[in-house]
Parts: sequence; structure tokens; C-alpha cells
Amino acid sequence: MKTSQIIHHQWGNMRIGVDIGGTFTDLVAVDADGGIVTTKTLSTPQDPSEGVVQGLLLLANRLGMTPSQMYERTELMIHGTTVATNTLAQRNGAHVGLLTTLGFRDVLELREGTKTGRYDLHTPFPQPLIRRPDRLEIVERLRHDGRVEVPLDEAHVLQQIDALRARGVEAVVVGLLHSHINPAHELRVRALIQQRDWQVYTVLSHEILGSEGEYDRFSTAAVNAYVGPRLDRYLGRLEARLREAGARFPLLIMQSTGGLLPALEAARYAVGCVTSGPAGGATATALYAKLLGVDRVVAYDTGGTTTDISLVDEGKPQERRKTELEDIKIAVPSIDIQVVALGGGSIARLDAGGILTLGPDSAGALPGPVCYGRGGEQVTLTDANLVLGYLSPTTFLGGRMQLDLARAKAVIRAQIAEPLGLTVEEASLAVNALASSRIASAVRTTALRRGLDPRELTLLSFGGAGGLHTAAVANELSIPHALVPREASVFSALGFLAADVRLDAQSPFGKLLSDATPEALEATFQALEKQLRERMAAGDFDGGKTSGSANNDTFSFMRYVDCRYRRQISTLALSVPADVGRQTPVDWVLAPFEAKYRQYYGHVHANESPYIETCRVSAYRMIAGGSLPRPSDHGAGDLPPPGNFARVRRVFTGEWIDIPGLWFDELREGACVEGPALVESTTTTVFVPAGSTARIDAFGSLSIQSEQRA
Amino acid sequence: MTLSAHPIEGNGEAHVEACATSIGMGDKVTIDPITLSVVRFKLLAVAEEVVEVMTQASFSPILNQSRDFSSAVLDGVGQLLTQAERVPIHMGALPFAVKRMLEAFEGDLHPGDVIVANDPYWGGSHLPDVTLAAPLFVNGELVLWVANRAHQGDIGGISPGGYSPSAREIWHEGIRIPPMKLVAKGVLREDLLRMICTNSRTPEDMRGDLLAQMSSVVRGVARGAELYDRYGTRVMTAACDAILNAGERAMRQQLSQWTPGVYEGVSLMDPQRAGEAPLPIKARITLSGDHVKVDFSDCAPQVASFINSPLANTKAAVNVAFMYLSGGQDGQNEGSTRAIKVITRPGSIVDPLEPAPVTACTTLTASVIIEAVMRGLEQAAPTRVVAGFARRFRLAIGGTDRVGKRFIWHTFANRGGAGGHARADGWSNLGVVHNPGGSPSPSVERTEAAYPFLIETYALRPDSGGAGQYRGGLGGIYILRYEGASVASITPTGDGAEIAPYGLAGAQDGQTHAYSIERAGVETQLGAKDANLTLQPGDKVICRSAGGGGYGLAARRDAAEIRRDIDYGYVSEAAARAHYPQIDTGYDERSHGNLADRDHKTAESDARDGGRHG
Repeated sequence: MKTSQIIHHQWGNMRIGVDIGGTFTDLVAVDADGGIVTTKTLSTPQDPSEGVVQGLLLLANRLGMTPSQMYERTELMIHGTTVATNTLAQRNGAHVGLLTTLGFRDVLELREGTKTGRYDLHTPFPQPLIRRPDRLEIVERLRHDGRVEVPLDEAHVLQQIDALRARGVEAVVVGLLHSHINPAHELRVRALIQQRDWQVYTVLSHEILGSEGEYDRFSTAAVNAYVGPRLDRYLGRLEARLREAGARFPLLIMQSTGGLLPALEAARYAVGCVTSGPAGGATATALYAKLLGVDRVVAYDTGGTTTDISLVDEGKPQERRKTELEDIKIAVPSIDIQVVALGGGSIARLDAGGILTLGPDSAGALPGPVCYGRGGEQVTLTDANLVLGYLSPTTFLGGRMQLDLARAKAVIRAQIAEPLGLTVEEASLAVNALASSRIASAVRTTALRRGLDPRELTLLSFGGAGGLHTAAVANELSIPHALVPREASVFSALGFLAADVRLDAQSPFGKLLSDATPEALEATFQALEKQLRERMAAGDFDGGKTSGSANNDTFSFMRYVDCRYRRQISTLALSVPADVGRQTPVDWVLAPFEAKYRQYYGHVHANESPYIETCRVSAYRMIAGGSLPRPSDHGAGDLPPPGNFARVRRVFTGEWIDIPGLWFDELREGACVEGPALVESTTTTVFVPAGSTARIDAFGSLSIQSEQRA
Repeated sequence: MTLSAHPIEGNGEAHVEACATSIGMGDKVTIDPITLSVVRFKLLAVAEEVVEVMTQASFSPILNQSRDFSSAVLDGVGQLLTQAERVPIHMGALPFAVKRMLEAFEGDLHPGDVIVANDPYWGGSHLPDVTLAAPLFVNGELVLWVANRAHQGDIGGISPGGYSPSAREIWHEGIRIPPMKLVAKGVLREDLLRMICTNSRTPEDMRGDLLAQMSSVVRGVARGAELYDRYGTRVMTAACDAILNAGERAMRQQLSQWTPGVYEGVSLMDPQRAGEAPLPIKARITLSGDHVKVDFSDCAPQVASFINSPLANTKAAVNVAFMYLSGGQDGQNEGSTRAIKVITRPGSIVDPLEPAPVTACTTLTASVIIEAVMRGLEQAAPTRVVAGFARRFRLAIGGTDRVGKRFIWHTFANRGGAGGHARADGWSNLGVVHNPGGSPSPSVERTEAAYPFLIETYALRPDSGGAGQYRGGLGGIYILRYEGASVASITPTGDGAEIAPYGLAGAQDGQTHAYSIERAGVETQLGAKDANLTLQPGDKVICRSAGGGGYGLAARRDAAEIRRDIDYGYVSEAAARAHYPQIDTGYDERSHGNLADRDHKTAESDARDGGRHG
């Protein structure tokens, strides 16, 4: 919105989304009518909460309010945090101890005997998050049906608790065999820790994951304990700072599932935040699917080092049950985001055989591409795009960074062009084309894994380095319609505002469909719902601030059964229709299961009864329902172009040609861009190739029709 | 924005010249380097799409979950251009199968054909691995093959699943399929499909899996056709040649960095029968500049047991060894093998003649061949070779469960340690060198729920890794109490109960597998070839798996690492004192954290150096 419009708009019942990235902290405010306003500020990595408060001041300024006026009118703030992600990536989390069943101290280190990278025998062994001296055994044993084989030796447990404390651990995982069937021993161990008056961050494996498989459970609990204390401190600091600044609204945290949790609960369930930021992008993609009235959208987000791909089907981001991050396994559901090692910083080089390759290694942000002038000496995708004229040396990132074209050229000449006998431009075009091919191939694979034909999808691209390749990717996949949202630069933060509060619980069921009774299923679901109600009552779910009190009735429950054929390992999730009542489960499970199985695998086992492995319940509180953000052609920062913005660009597409340079924020609904042209904003540049046409749609997005279909 | 839509004009001729010199090898290259790198990537994408289709469409858990299959794209004469990273031992072997298909149907291949074959004496490896391959024709010329090799759950033979220690000839091992047309000019031969499936104990799965293979290669051919449409046959042919040449060049460059010479590597298998000597596989390796000859002429004659390795498998295993040695760089293809000459003596254990049985070749014998090459190159490529890994040693327990229902259980847990190398210790509990860490072991909780067992322990086995500057990875201890309703049979198969994983560069060997049965407090050792053993309810099976071999002199091991090993319980104090005299020097509490940091940094710098962490 333009400043004059922002000020005259009646802002009330606002929600604010905040996403902290490596470079920028993005803020988006939405009000009850869906109107949005956005701002960006530099991140403050030492204490990210500082940047948040800075951003809030800027946002209030944009709204023409004082901060306290803005806080008064704000219902809640939704935050996506990279604290858990970074803690895990940098391996600088808490010193964690484990108490586990006698005989099973090494489950985490044995890793189910797996390793990635089949031809690489030289990678050093990665130590697990909990080292062996911090893994202590306690005398107890349960049977697979929950019976007690060896009772808990409490005196011994107390000794082991003291031993861990003496080792100086900051967090404790209690991981016992079969605890998902009978949690009594894990609960008792926590009581004993409390009895010792030890205020330590404690994680019980069955509370993090209520399902069979000790490695999955212990590993997920270990991640939770490893990132939890730091996340807890960070969220505490952020809340304190907000209170100091006079804000009273509750703080909700984006989960990897695309749901929200109150800060307190999020700190306890820290493993749920590991892909908090990217989940915002997927949620925003679902929002656009809804706005556009389409069911299926595939989105890719190309940043500095990676491309994240997510798929929205039937209007919802697709989920996965498990995540593997290098050697770490996380077995709780999350939005399924495929990460491909390709970004602006990806390194282009000739391989040992003399053929040009791109990635998977990256120059990252530091040293970064050669043209950043921060010491990078290897050719990157960004360098190639600069040489081709797609990126402007003077107005990159809205002029915040000057790019060194001469250096980029020199390095491409020496490392690629000369050895291959090409001109610098041709070499750069090759790097650019490889990038489009790699993104397209990854998008295709993502669709195929879900049994979908990429041609039936809408392509959406966001992230700084994506827009130059959008049209090429769509073209390569024969996708007729591609979209670059105007809010691309604050996409995750926008997605936070389209999310609902969500809590999950699950328990094993373990019966063939043919043996499952409606009563047994109902009892399992009711127990889960009771547990969720209790968690809600315990959690500070809306701070008593919004829509009355933390009333359980404001929640809705969604029930799921995870099914498979008995001898299989992976399951398919089916939602339980609301009206099943006392119907025999076969009546409502079989047909949808077989349909979904066929979609994924192309066949069904008609003579075999499916097996219901797990029952799950998600509790939602619809906070976004009434007021989804409604982007428009006055969205984003609505910033004017830099003074030196060039309206004519010289780009290389096989030959040097002059094409128009347009400023995204100046294009209004209905505007039409005939390719070839470049559309630039402060955060990304979109290339519209010859033969393609782009229009600004009702939501302010650049909508590209590919050359084949136009 | 595609390159084909924007041909670079004006200086096309100059490209040809420039490439001929830069990509070199003296061939006539008529492709520009831009198209070349894009085409190479797109061919890989074809192989990957075959994998996706297969994963979705296949029936058996071994395929859609364990993914025991591989895909490749080959040129018109059956040279492997690119592969989707799956089962290492499949890859080098695929070209043999496709070349024999070409031979079998010379002059009689047509668009829409899909060929099936599994016979080891027709270019196959072992019978469970069934290969389907489809040719792509452009203007009547055969230009490309897309192949998919998948391990079928059951292909008949004496034992369910195909591994029959008692097989004495190939016919005992299952159905033999020479190259045959499963699909002829686009028409599926139902009769042939029925005949093949009828020979399986699980005909429904077999049918689904074969059809999945078929649809995957058909899809691959369609994608390949799109590439030929877009770039034209002339460009594609040039690209295929250039891709192979680049693979060759990369391997030659790697080989020329090693020390030339004539080397011998020997690796032993456990004796096949009590009282016999261990069975050696000997590789005489001549490394001369940028090429290498691996001569197995001295190997033992073929035996009447399933450990014979057909030539395709032997060459594939050599290929895997060189992939490990060169770090498995991108762009591996058949060009790389041009620099590696493998010599065998027909009728020997590594090049058997019909009717020798072969089923264990892709696992056991492949491991031993890989080891022989590694050991041979200890002097030539000291920073690349890896010490010995634990071998596969499996148990099958068959009996009745708690409620009297019959069951058969196979061990997939507790695989043993990996060997150390010139930069780091070996991994613990990783297992076999032919497929390190390839498939996850089942959980203790699920095992107890599904079988009449109580697992008492699953833990690292201290002191099992060979001592050295870099220690071998640890094996594991897995103790299982049998709780069935009646007596059960227990059948061990495998290797490594007598031959220990070798140490390199002066390091110690790892400990061997040591399995036993404990009945009423008395432990009885379990041999890898024992038969007709029983388990009583209440008996314990104690599995101690082998540790990896070490690398380098123990006296050079960092004192802080020795201390860490003792603190962590990887090595007992007594064993440490026996192997490492330097134990009492140079350690202080703080070096702990530094050590951890150092581990991490090494991993990071590896990643920067292009090491793979995929």
C-alpha cells in the first residue's frame, strides 16, 4: 500500500508475521480485512530479538502510528525462527545426557547401521548429538505389549541422575524401550529428576513421538534436547524484549508442520521448529493456491546455497513423516520440503573430465560469489547471471550492494571460458542454462514422487535467485503458467499469517483393517483428544488476549489413520471423515487407501487387507480463517526504484540485445510485459524471455504464460 | 531460454576446433561444451526418472522400500553413459547384459522392444538380478538404451529368496532367462511374462515388479527421445562420445597421481568346509601411468558352491573398488573403465564356466574382490585405500512363535565395523564393503513385537576395531533370547568367522565375527558353515560382529584420541596399554572439546574439497 493509503486505512485486529533470515528480518502486518503492509530490516545475528524490535518500530512508522498504538491494535505476533535450524546445522547446541534401558546405551551411535553417500568411504564418523559418556543405562525393562519385565530400580536411577548432573549436562533425554506403549517408567524418571530439585530441560521420548522404533524416538528426542535450551532462552529473551517495549500480545511460533504453537509450548517441543522458516514459504504457497482457485502448485525458492521445493496438493502443503538432515534423523511430521544444493552461490567448474558442472558445493554468503568482492575466487551462478546482464551491478538488492562485473568476467574467462574455447558470455549462458535444468529436474522429481504430472501444476517461484530461471523452468517442464508473487521477498512471513494454531498427538494402533472395530478406533482417538485438551489447558495458547479465554471449544480436531500393507515400512496418511460414526472402518478406509496407494505406486494389493499402524489427531485453532492476507498490486514495500535504475538493459541470450528493464513495484494490475524483458525489485529479478508474456494479476503477482502455450 | 532455441551463431566452427583440443583424446568432437554439459545432466535426469517410476510402481518391499535396483542410460552399442546412484555392484555389470542383448538380437531389434535377461552366462551377475532394457531408435538407427536392473524377491531354485548354500550348479539357483523380448514392437508378451512368474514362489509380486521395470524403461526411452528431438542425432552422438571420453580422462588423471608399479593384493575367504584352507582371491595389479591392469589369473578354480563370480560381476567389483578409491566423483561412466583392464582365467572362481552356481557373488565374493584390489594398492595410493570391513554373516532362525505360528527370521542388524584409512577412524556398525550402510536394520521394538525374541543387548563391541593410527570401526554385540513355543532351527551363512578384516599400513586387523549359542550358562561357538543347529526356548544367541581393520602404526595414534577411546569405552584400558605405548603422554582434559571440534572441521573441509555427504 502507498503511504497515504496505509495511513488512512483503519488498522485494527492486526496480526504481525516476523521471519528472521540470515541477512534480513522481514515483517508483514495483516488486519481483519486482509490488508497487508510489509517492511524489512537488517538481521542482528548476535541477538535476533534486537532486529525484531527494530523492525516493529519501522512497521509502526509505516503504519503512521506510535509503537504503542500499533501494539494496542495487534492481536498476536507469529514468528518463524531459524534458531533451531542453525543450532543443528552449526552443531552448537546443548550438552545433552541420556538415560536409557540397560543394554541399549548405543542406539543413537549404531544409527540402524546406515550411512549416506555410497561411494564415499572417507568421511569421518559423525558423533551422535549425545556422546557415549553422557549416555547412561538404568535398570528397567518393558515388554513389547507394555508389561513390566524388570521393574524400575529407583535407587539406581537416582545415582545415574546424579552422575549426569555431575557431568554438567544442560538437558536430559529419557529414552526407554517400548515407552510408546507404556510410558510409566519414563514418567517416573522425570519425577525422580524433579525430586532431586534439578531444573534441567527434560525430554521424554514418548512425549515427543508416540510410535514404535527406538532409534526414531530417541533420535528425535535427542534433537529436541539439543536445540531446546537455546530456543527456550531465545524465545524468553524475545518475549521479555517485547514486553519491555510495551507489547502485550501473545507470541506464536511457526512449526515445521505449518501449524503454530504458543512460545512456551514451542520451546518445549523444539524439534518442531527445525524447518520453521521454509514451512512459512509452503504455507504462503497454499495461500496463493487458494487465492488463485487452483488445487496444485509447486513452488521453488532459490536462495544463496539451496533451492527448496514444496508441493501444494488439494490446497494443502504436502507433509512427510520423517526428515533426515545429514546424519540426524527427525521422525516427526513436517511439511515436505525437498532441498536441492543449488543457489546463486553454487560453484561452476570443469570437472576432472573437462565438462562444465554446477554445484553441489557453494560459496555461500561468505566468501560468496566473486562479484561480491568478499574474497570469492570460484565462479558462481550469480557471477554468470551478472555477466549475462540479468543482474545489474549498480541496482542489485535495490542498490544495497555493488557488484564487481570485471572480476566476475575475469574469473569466468580463466576458469571456464578459455579452457572450453568459449567467450565469457557463452560460458556464462551455459552456467545459467545448467541452473535452469537442475531446478526443473528437481521440480519434476518432486511432482513425480507424489504421483503428479508436472504439466498439471502451477509453478510459483520466490527467493532471490529464482526469478531469473522461472520461465525457463516452466518451459522445460511444459508448465503453462508460472507465477512470481510481489510479496516474494517476505514470503515466509506472509505464510505465517495464513497458518493456524496446531497441536499433534499420535498413538500406535497396530491392527489389520479387517480386525479393527469402530469402538477401538474411537477409544484411541478420544484418548488422544483428551491428551490434546489437557496440553491446551496447560499451554498459554492465546495469552487470554484473543477471542475470549483458552476455551477448548475454539479448537477443532482432525483425525488421521496411518495405513500400510503389513510387511511394508512406510505409511500413507488418511484423514478420518467427520461422519464415520459407528461405520465399520473397512467402509471408509479401504477405498481411499487404495486410491492413494495407486496414485503413489501405480497398483494395489487387492487381496491384502491394509494395516492401521498409527492413529493421529491434529488440533487446530483457526486464527487465520476470517482474515487471510490478501496481497494486491499495492503490496510489498512499494518502494520506488533506485535513482540509477536503468530502463534499458543489455543482456546476452546468445547474442547481445537491448531489452526493457521494469520496476516491479511500478507495475499495476493488468499491466502486460512482453518478453524479452527484465522485471526487477529490491530482492529479485525476473526474466521474461522472448515469446512469453507476463501480466500483473489481481494479487499483484507477475503471471508468466510460457511461450508454448501463449 | 533454451540453448537449442538460441544456437550460438557465427563461430560454430571455432567451437569444434576448440573442443577437439580441450576435451581431447584425439576424437572428432562436433559438439559445443555448453550443450555437452546440459546434455550430460539431462541424461542423468533420465536415469533418475527411471528410478522414480520404479519406486512408485514396484510391488516388493525389497524394491519399493530397500530400493535394491539401479538404472542406467547406455549408448547405442551398450556403453554406460550415466547411472542413478543405487546399488554399486549393479552398475559396472549392466553394460555386459546390454551388450549380450545386442548380440542375441542382432538385426532383430525394433522400436518398442523391451528385452529381459538374468542369466550370468548371458552377461548377468546372479539370477535374482533381472535386467530389463529398451532400445531407442531415431530414424531407424539404434542410438540409446535405457536399462533397469532389479533384485527380485524370488526366482525359484532350491531356497526361497535365491541364496542356496547347497546349490551345486546354476540350475539349482532358479530360473535362467537368456535375452528375450518381453515386449515386441510395443506388444507385451503375456505368455513369456506368465512363464517367468510361474517360476517364482511369489508370482504376483514378480509380475508387478517386472511390469514396474518395464514401465520405467519405457518412460526412460520416451525421455531420451525428447532429447534426440531437441538436439538432433548428430549432436547427441557427439555428446555421448564426449561424455565417455571425459569419464576416461578423469579416471586416467586419477590413476596418474598414484605410484606406478606392479603390486599384488590377496584377500581370503573363510574355508568352505571344515579342515580346508582359506580360499584366496589374488589380484596382480600393474599400474603404469594413466592406466592399470588387474590380473586375476592366479585365482583358484571355480568351486561347486554359490561363491563363484561371473566375469560381469568381477569386473563390476573391480570398478566399485576404483570408484571408492577415486572418491566416487560425478560423471562416472564406462569411459572410466577404459583405463582399467581386467584379466581373468576362464574356469576360475572369478570367471566361472557354466554350470557353476553364483548367487553369493554380488555380496560375498564382490567384497573379497574389492578387498584384493584395495590391498594391492596399499603402496600405490596410500591416502585412498581403506582397511578391511566386516563381512556379511547372517543367521536365519525358523520356528514357531509364542502362539504356535511358524516364522522365519533373518538378521539384518549388527553389521560390523568399517576399516580406517589415512585420514580417519572407520565407522562403527556400518558393515559390508559392497554396500556400506545401504539398508537400515529393523528396530528392536518391532523385532520383539513380531518375533518370539527378547533382545537383551544391542551395543558397540569394545576392542573389536583394529588398533592403528586410525582405528577400525567397532562391531556390535547383539544378544537375542529365543522365547518360542518349541525348538527352532538356526542356520548361519556368511563369512568372516575365521578371516579377520585386514589392517593396512602397519595397523592391526579387526576382531573376527564371534557368534555363539548360550544354553544353561554354557556358550558354544557358532561357525559360519554350521548346519542342522537348533535353539531351545530360553537359549541365547550372542552375536559379536567383526570390527574394521586399522590404518597406520598404532604408535602414531594421537594420545588424545586414545584417551577419548578409553573414556568412551571404545577401547578398554588394558587393550589400550597393550597397543598404544604413547598413552601416558600429552593428554589433558581440555583436548576433549578440541578433538570434537577437529572432527567437525575435518568433515567441513571434506565438504569443501568436494567430498560427498549426500
